[in-house]
Amino acid sequence: MGITNVNLNDVTRIAIKAGKILLTSGAEIYRVEDTITRICKAYKVECETFVVPTGIFITAYGKDGETITHVKRIKERTINIKKIEAVNAFSRSLNNRVPDYSEAMNILDSIEHEREYPFWLKLAATSVTAFAFVLLFKGTSYESIAAALISAIVYFFKERVVQVSLFPFLGFFISGIVAGSLSILFSVLISGLNIYKIIIGAIVIHLPGMAMTNGIKDALYGDITSSMNRISEAFFSVAAICAGVALALLVFL
Amino acid sequence: MEQIILSFITSIAPAVVFNTSKRNLIWAGFSGVVGWVIYIFLFEKTGDTILSVFAGALGIGIYSETMARVLKTPATVYTLPGIFPIVPGVPAYYTIEYIVKRNFINAAGTGLETIGSACAIAFGVMLASAVFRLYNRIKIKSAYDKY
Repeated sequence: MGITNVNLNDVTRIAIKAGKILLTSGAEIYRVEDTITRICKAYKVECETFVVPTGIFITAYGKDGETITHVKRIKERTINIKKIEAVNAFSRSLNNRVPDYSEAMNILDSIEHEREYPFWLKLAATSVTAFAFVLLFKGTSYESIAAALISAIVYFFKERVVQVSLFPFLGFFISGIVAGSLSILFSVLISGLNIYKIIIGAIVIHLPGMAMTNGIKDALYGDITSSMNRISEAFFSVAAICAGVALALLVFL
Repeated sequence: MEQIILSFITSIAPAVVFNTSKRNLIWAGFSGVVGWVIYIFLFEKTGDTILSVFAGALGIGIYSETMARVLKTPATVYTLPGIFPIVPGVPAYYTIEYIVKRNFINAAGTGLETIGSACAIAFGVMLASAVFRLYNRIKIKSAYDKY
């Protein structure tokens, strides 16, 4: 049974698609590479893959010496754990049964367009995070309510700014400014509030925990290039938030 | 008890923001409880922030890797929301404030504490994951050895 050119193409397309969903949802590099290799193996195609946080490269080798290479540039990076879970389950299911091209693409398509939690629920979850976080650090109930309100506003701003801006760190910078100035405003309106507790509560959800832990995990699996990439991403994000907060403090305090 | 509930909420709510599936939400919440309980226990005993954060992160890592094997999902699902209660927010804020007030000596101290805690979280999680990976390797190797 010779594997024809069309087949090679189909397999790399399935692999690229799975890899793209994983990488844009914030999976670790080794997971993306591992999934791509598993998919190729399931279709009995020999392949070589190289993944960095900004792109995927796959070369598949045919039986009669032909090779085919696909390059996929990854521009957006978000956090969507549900998609990582779903692609992981898909990759596990290949052990039992290998679907044909159109079926596999359908499964991946439905994963890609799977509905997220509605925006209002995420907004509410953001405020709940801020509320509980401030209480955890022994803040008063006024402080936690203020932090909850501000964090909802900041989240709203950030989601909207990120959607229009071309510069990814601008969103973090503006979040910092908004969080800082609103917290100072609240502390002026109601006396006796600790500004720092409100600010920390408001920005805790925007801290790049994913980039940081992924960066370290990539280093653990030997993907030093990607690890440096992600740790710098985390560092710049924190720096942008801090610069925003510092600017607000400088101007208003 | 109140703190356990609060730490549960502090890690289940980010899990919703990061779009975790409903099946895993509760387990993501308990990950935060594990980290927080270890952290606060050690912090009250020793008063050392970085050590307590490291131990908390190690606990989160072990919990996440175990749950990942039990429920057959990636460990990140539980690690990421779990670290929320122990992120070094307070020293990070003080660092900014000291810099704004031109008090660089104090800023250096709190800055180092922030970076130290952040690295402690990362290395705690990484250590757990490394140990589990080593265990997997040994298991696979011994399975080959049988043949």
